[in-house]
Amino acid sequence: MKNLVVLFICLMLISCEVEEATPTTPVGDTFMTDKATLVRSGTIMGVNHTVSGTATLYELNGEYTLVLDPFQSQNGPDLKVYFSKDVGANNFLRLGNLKSTTGKQSYPIPDSAMQTDYPYFHVWCEQFSVEFARAELK
Amino acid sequence: MRCWICAILFFPVSLAVCQPRFTCGDATVAFGNSEGTLSFLFTHGWRPGKNEKFEVGIGLRFTSYLGQNQYYITAPANLTSGATGPQVIFKENIPENIDSLLINWPQINALNLAIHLGYQINSRFTVGFTIDALGFSFGKSTSARYINGAFGQTTSAKPTAFNFLLVSDNDLGSLNSELFAKYYWNERWGIKAGAQFLFTEYTTQTEVQQVPEPNDRFRDKSLLIALAITRSF
Repeated sequence: MKNLVVLFICLMLISCEVEEATPTTPVGDTFMTDKATLVRSGTIMGVNHTVSGTATLYELNGEYTLVLDPFQSQNGPDLKVYFSKDVGANNFLRLGNLKSTTGKQSYPIPDSAMQTDYPYFHVWCEQFSVEFARAELK
Repeated sequence: MRCWICAILFFPVSLAVCQPRFTCGDATVAFGNSEGTLSFLFTHGWRPGKNEKFEVGIGLRFTSYLGQNQYYITAPANLTSGATGPQVIFKENIPENIDSLLINWPQINALNLAIHLGYQINSRFTVGFTIDALGFSFGKSTSARYINGAFGQTTSAKPTAFNFLLVSDNDLGSLNSELFAKYYWNERWGIKAGAQFLFTEYTTQTEVQQVPEPNDRFRDKSLLIALAITRSF
């Protein structure tokens, strides 16, 4: 019985999917910030991880975009970009995978989402439900 | 539903006059992509007919499931397929009705009555199929992230308590099934290999899904490779 349990755990470990880390190649999205209206901005602070930069919400021709510039993050698996209503990201808007651990990057925001107030930005590891970074946009 | 319960209860009685009987126990490990099960199945069955090749039986199966980072999807058949009858097996999913529930460490234990169907190729080799029919599940309540397109919220979920085999997405709860080949190297002991198809289901604390109608049930379907040792009694 003991051997069976050990075998089960070993097979579980073998079968574990290796979650790919976030790309580290610097991205350089070409969102033209000088033509857009700055709506809100906040300084990104790491949460038990080394992350820094600025998160800014822009409006251009009625469409909203989140821009991270500058941006630098510690790497991790399954990192997502969230906006949320609360500091704990209990009610969130998922903007997709973090494109890279470094470089200027932009994330378009669905029109329907702008009807709700999402003042917090997060870098969130979904695989382990761990927050990497946060910013309050004011 | 009443017919199903009667069929399950009287199934062994109606076969009790058949000979010969067989009794066996299996201990199975099954594994897939970041998930696996440990299960124990005790089966009592009969080999009706002249050639005594076909097997029918009833068993009790305990399945313990453990996964990592699994996405559960909307479970009720009326949402996934837009219907609730047996025809759901042939219906395509309706993607706009299906939301996700991400659970980082799902763990569900299920105890179910199981049905066994088999064919004894020779005295050492058997192929067959087992499927859970009725039982209950238990496990810890866990934190989960409900995702509806770009929107999401944190919630909590626990294993759906009652398990019942119906057809495809009409099923309730956590049900295990196996397609297997079994080889006995002596009179008592053998090995079994095959595919395990497992439904696991969580119920959220509140009806987090609201469109097209309120829903709190989310299901994961897992296809696993199964290996077992088996003992004949």
